[in-house]
Amino acid sequence: MPNAPATSGALLLIHSHYGEPPGLFTLALERGDAVIVRERDLTPAHFAAARGLTTTSHLDQLGLMHFADDLEAFMARGGRWFFNGHILRPFLKGLGIYEPIAKAKRADLVLTRLNEHPIFAGIDQPSFEENRGVAGFYGRGHNPLPEGALAINGIGPQNLPIDWEWTLPSGGKMFSHAGNDVGGMGGPNPNHALLAPRILAWTMGEF
Amino acid sequence: MSILVIHPGAYYHIESFEGPRYAHYFDKLVRPEELPDVRLEDFNVVLIPCRTPADRMEPHKARLRAYLDQGGTIIATGESDSQLFLPGITFTPQPTNFWWWLTPGADLGVRIAKPEHSLFRHLAEKDVTWHLHGWFDVPEGAEVLATGDTGEPILYIDEVTTGGRMIITSLDPFYHHGSHFMPATTRFLDGFLPWMRAELDKEHTA
Repeated sequence: MPNAPATSGALLLIHSHYGEPPGLFTLALERGDAVIVRERDLTPAHFAAARGLTTTSHLDQLGLMHFADDLEAFMARGGRWFFNGHILRPFLKGLGIYEPIAKAKRADLVLTRLNEHPIFAGIDQPSFEENRGVAGFYGRGHNPLPEGALAINGIGPQNLPIDWEWTLPSGGKMFSHAGNDVGGMGGPNPNHALLAPRILAWTMGEF
Repeated sequence: MSILVIHPGAYYHIESFEGPRYAHYFDKLVRPEELPDVRLEDFNVVLIPCRTPADRMEPHKARLRAYLDQGGTIIATGESDSQLFLPGITFTPQPTNFWWWLTPGADLGVRIAKPEHSLFRHLAEKDVTWHLHGWFDVPEGAEVLATGDTGEPILYIDEVTTGGRMIITSLDPFYHHGSHFMPATTRFLDGFLPWMRAELDKEHTA
């Protein structure tokens, strides 16, 4: 049913790397509506049956381009996609290519909340700046803000949009985090664990 | 064409192989799934980069072995579980100490084991030092180029297991370089890739 609105369906988690799925994915399984699909086993039917989609920074971007039409149709049904990583392929019309911060210094890695968003509500964004005193794990660049998208978090003195939410002209929503995967469980920063269930809920259109 | 690169398609692979800094070192990029359509024997080197999902390479295990046995060269960098698709590799992973350098004067423990090797005209110890991911029990007769904190091999050349040559490391330079995060990995590739072209791709440079 390619034109049915994505008000029901599965939470599709694309497992790209070899080995155990990430903690966010195993948390998702507890919801009862999630399906983890090994990337090489993906088919158009997975997109057709999905309400939400989460991908990691290890996504095979060349492989996903083979599903560009399926992805477009998924978004046009009102699907939601939480994307982690650097965009180096134009999966959807309107997306730009990742821009790294050249020779990033500490001041270039300052994080600032630019607009409130339910995934980040009440979470101190600068708490993501450092891990054991080292900055840069959250991200070191940005995926260009598509036209009409809302910047959520900025990086550096120019507040480059490291996190944004975009409502596509066709109706779906994409959230882009241009860095290492957020929402990891069990890491040194407990705020990641706070983000995890919210990411899943947002991806399924629950807020 | 003489250097073939397996292209698993993650952003760090795209940046490393297609980005202007190194693209000229790679004559053909091939998806793991497209390997059956490529004549490996046409290439002097097959490079399998860091974080290539092993289950995308396992179906091609026999072809890689046949390529080696007819005299080919395979380079495999770290975090790819190469032991699952290449012969004669015994790997022991170790927990990664991401923080070693925060201690003033700390030493990760990487050592160049064979400084007279031609690779080390291109690389210094600091260029092979970022993280340790594990070590190898190498076959007798293999040439150990670098070792980790326990003195075990982390970079070696095996010309004894097959009829060809395998250059195996647990270092993961493409992942970090392609992530724009960790200058040592870019320095490693700045030295390793010219060495690869000059020493392993003789026909190309002749």
